[in-house]
Amino acid sequence: MTSVFALPDVGEGLTEAEVLRWLVAPGDTVTLNQIIVEIETAKAAVELPSPYAGVVTELLAEPGATVAVGSPLIAIDTGDARDATAQPTAEISQQIGAEGPDGRITTLVGYGPRTQAMARRSRKPAAAAPPAEDQGSVPLAKPPVRKLAKELGIDLSTVPGSGTDGVITRDDVRRAASRPGADPGQRREPVRGVRKATAAAVVSSAFTAPHVTMFLTVDVTAMMQLRARLAERPAFRGVKLTPLTFTARALCLAVRRTPEVNASWDEAADEIVYFDHVHLGIAVDTPRGLVVPKIRYADRMPLHELAVALEELATAARDGHTPPGDMLGGTITITNIGIFGIDTGTPILNPGESAILALGAIREQPWVVDGAVVPRQVCQLALSVDHRVVDGAQGSRFLSDIGALLTDPALALTF
Amino acid sequence: MPPRKRAPSRSSPGAKPVGSPIVGQPTVGPVVEPLAGPIVGTAMEIDGPHNPQQIIAGLRATSEGEDLVQLLTPEGQRVSHPRFDLEISAAGIQALYRDMVLVRRVDREANVLQRQGQLGLWAPLLGQEAAQVGAGRAMAPQDMAFPSYREHGVAWCRGVDPTELLGIFRGVDQGSWDPNSTGFQLYAVVVGTQCLHATGYAMGQRLDGKIGNAETGEATICFFGDGATSQGDVHEAFVWAAVYDAPVVFFCQNNQWAISASLDRQTRVPLYRRARGYGFPGIRVDGNDVLAVFAVTQWALRECRTGNGPVLIEACTYRMDAHTTSDDPTRYRLADELEEWKLKDPLERVRVHLVREGLAEPDFFAGVIDEADELARRLRDYCTSMPVPGPERIFSNIYAEASPSLDAARADFLAYHASFEDGH
Amino acid sequence: MAGSAGTQTITLAKGLNQGLRAAMEADPKVIVMGEDVGKLGGVFRITDGLQKDFGEQRVLDTPLGESGIIGTAVGLALRGYRPVCEIQFDGFVYPAFDQIVTQLARFHYRSQGKLRMPVVVRVPHGGGIGAVEHHSESPESYFAHTPGIKVVACANAVDAYWMIQQAIACDDPVIFFEPKRRYWEKASLDLAAAPPPLFSSRLVRSGTTATVVTYGPMVRTALDAATVAEQDGQRLEVIDLRTLSPLDLAPVFDSVRRTGRLICVSEAPGEASLIGELAARVSQECFYSLEAPVLRVTGFDTPYPPAKCEEDYLPDVDRILDAVDRALGY
Repeated sequence: MTSVFALPDVGEGLTEAEVLRWLVAPGDTVTLNQIIVEIETAKAAVELPSPYAGVVTELLAEPGATVAVGSPLIAIDTGDARDATAQPTAEISQQIGAEGPDGRITTLVGYGPRTQAMARRSRKPAAAAPPAEDQGSVPLAKPPVRKLAKELGIDLSTVPGSGTDGVITRDDVRRAASRPGADPGQRREPVRGVRKATAAAVVSSAFTAPHVTMFLTVDVTAMMQLRARLAERPAFRGVKLTPLTFTARALCLAVRRTPEVNASWDEAADEIVYFDHVHLGIAVDTPRGLVVPKIRYADRMPLHELAVALEELATAARDGHTPPGDMLGGTITITNIGIFGIDTGTPILNPGESAILALGAIREQPWVVDGAVVPRQVCQLALSVDHRVVDGAQGSRFLSDIGALLTDPALALTF
Repeated sequence: MPPRKRAPSRSSPGAKPVGSPIVGQPTVGPVVEPLAGPIVGTAMEIDGPHNPQQIIAGLRATSEGEDLVQLLTPEGQRVSHPRFDLEISAAGIQALYRDMVLVRRVDREANVLQRQGQLGLWAPLLGQEAAQVGAGRAMAPQDMAFPSYREHGVAWCRGVDPTELLGIFRGVDQGSWDPNSTGFQLYAVVVGTQCLHATGYAMGQRLDGKIGNAETGEATICFFGDGATSQGDVHEAFVWAAVYDAPVVFFCQNNQWAISASLDRQTRVPLYRRARGYGFPGIRVDGNDVLAVFAVTQWALRECRTGNGPVLIEACTYRMDAHTTSDDPTRYRLADELEEWKLKDPLERVRVHLVREGLAEPDFFAGVIDEADELARRLRDYCTSMPVPGPERIFSNIYAEASPSLDAARADFLAYHASFEDGH
Repeated sequence: MAGSAGTQTITLAKGLNQGLRAAMEADPKVIVMGEDVGKLGGVFRITDGLQKDFGEQRVLDTPLGESGIIGTAVGLALRGYRPVCEIQFDGFVYPAFDQIVTQLARFHYRSQGKLRMPVVVRVPHGGGIGAVEHHSESPESYFAHTPGIKVVACANAVDAYWMIQQAIACDDPVIFFEPKRRYWEKASLDLAAAPPPLFSSRLVRSGTTATVVTYGPMVRTALDAATVAEQDGQRLEVIDLRTLSPLDLAPVFDSVRRTGRLICVSEAPGEASLIGELAARVSQECFYSLEAPVLRVTGFDTPYPPAKCEEDYLPDVDRILDAVDRALGY
């Protein structure tokens, strides 16, 4: 086996040496520690002893040559026999002059100089640690962003941060500055997520579909009584029956008589699309904003099933677990503003739909029955329709039908 | 200036030698240095020659002169000394010879290992074996040694395995042996600094009441070189030791060269004479005569254990090799000088003496050589297989008490280290 | 002397040697003193041949005592000489520390300007040569912290040649740090080119991604890091401080105002260091330009470790680029 002896750094940080004189020649037998060569460094003339015993096979540097530290000097055949003396040198031979995986020439003086590896060591694929989060009350922003805010007269404590961990970015500051009347009495929040989607939807709807809204005040005392009776039936045990449940059912029944409200204006195709099913959108208020998940084929559900579906839908929406597919493909929508104690409003259509029903709060109010003023459960319904699809008469009939069904649920037999 | 009062020495002439496993006891009397008389006359009369050539000649002459304690001549002749003598058995001399051969072999193998790239540096002791072995073997187990960075021979005598010296020079540690259990402190690289430490340690020995008995008392010995005597720390150590009667032997190996500075760069008077100015005895011994060094050092240590410290010993020797492997002595000293000192070799004179006097058989010499070969092999094996300390070593043992900030720095760096694909 | 105009390739060690020679030729009051600087030419051969050519009266092989070297240099300066003292290794400057910080640094002030201390203290500093303890220290912060002395660090052969002459010509005491691991690196010296002023920093590589500021032995490392970073499309700007006291930070401020990111590199422990001062000054002067906190890449707050650990201890290309990545992460 041939071992190569590389030029060591003989004097603390030297980088090269000149070969002065070889004291051995190829074919010579050398013993361990036999002086084999004289070299001269920037500091001294030095004799180098052989780290191997064996036969010289090759001198790898000419006399007079300047050799870099770490460069091979001499090759020595150490033979196959490995006696006790050869053992350590055999180990050296695997290292000397060879660049290790870490880029070091491992057997040079002390530690050996690292080769001039002009490349980065590869890092394991780990996420770079994010900047430590600042937990203080001071708004988080880099100095240049602070400077920008100062120049634009923006109080950073009023600017919501859109960066990682809520750090305020340049864009946040510029956006804040572009708002008129920005002053400390206001709070500004970036429009994003659900709010952004909602805004886009209502703007799109309001400025493309000509809205007509009609109102109807109805006596729902009978419906409320029915609700109380049903709630006691074993079949409805554990099921949450609400005015919305009855309204949704009534809407589905009414759609049969006025299919124009369950349709869509297809501007591109210059067509009106009529649906033979009801995918009923229910507007739900959630921590993230307004969402409108759908109950698919609501028109095919009996009251009990509809009640269950409504409850599941509301829960999923509030928890943010609504399956993406349930957010799409609605044909008509109910918004239950009554749960906020509101009497009525003018709902804006979900884009692509032709009707939306707002259910107001149910209150006990004076009502004239058979000429006498009596207290009754009363609520207001508001229906907005896309006038391109739905005429006033159709909308009126649809709203009237729903009102009639809520006033006298028995009429459902006639639908 | 009246002589300082000294406690009566317990090692009076004719005292019964106390057994030592290796060698006998010196039969010596107390040394009372003649102190300077009234200051009169010319500077020449007081301090000696002023002409540089005269100074150099004087310094050299006194390495061989009458005031040099010598018991074995370079030719291997046993000689007597009026104040110091030594009764020593053949086995005792053999043991000292063996020490020196093994120490030299360790030194030479380490030097070669540096030239082969296995050590970053080596500070050779070649030529100083007698000074170090003689002093090291004079120490009692309870004594403490403060070395500089070349005391490989003293380390050997204190039971520090030579492999333990390699870590410093290979760059894996800064001294791995236990100073307390070996009675051998860690190497001091900053020149002269250890003299103050030794003095303080000796002050502690006195404070602990460990002096007063030449055999069972404690003493400290401090090793330094001729160059170190120029350092302020050494001057201060001499002052402190004198003022506090510290039981410390200042053992100066005058190897004639502080890297490239010859002795006349450090002094006009022989170094041992400086002791007089501080008020304690100074003795010049032939540092290449292991018997004389042993005798003088043993006497000095006994003086200190008794309470008569401090003592300065100047062991005249010669640095036969370079200052370190990074040095090139051919740039500043003549080969003639080296050849001259080769004739005073510390090992050869003992070998000649043993052979001539029939104190050792050829088997003995062959056995020592075999032992040296085996030691060299063991040293080489150990050197080439020393584990490289991991990065955690950087952060270890910096404070005795926990340091949370350092712990955090270590954790950060180890995590950084581990973040590489070739990391651990 | 190498006084003839022209370009030559020399090592940093040779640059210092030729610079010293030029200074000694220019002013007979310049004397070189230290341990082994004469016959041996210094342990790093920086003073090689000077004693032979200028004599033992001007190149003094001193006794072995660092405090003595500096203390007597103070006296020689009082007598009108311009001593250039060599401290053999960084770790041995501490025995001279008292003379430097309590005496050398204060004579001018104490004498209300009547006395001058044109003394240069040359100190090889830094690690990376596989040395034993006390031979790899980076003590520059101690001196930069001391009013009354000036501190410079050269990083290449060309600066070595000019800066040593400028330091010797300076009427104030100058601690002159030499990067011992770079002594044998070569550069092309053009004797006809005019050097920049001694107490000035210098942009040594232009870039836009981030600024790397360093000095002495780490300049080479920073330049290597910039070369490697370019492979990733990052363009690092590198500034060599050259002067550590007084600091010349105008080029640094200018750079940070363009890049917005600063990485300071030094071999010395980071805590309470010169590099920390740099970070403070940049934070103060360039606050509104900083896209990331000033990051430091330094030796650890530990004693310099045994040589086998020094590659882990010393900042290298990877650690500098890791800091660049972190700076870009903000």
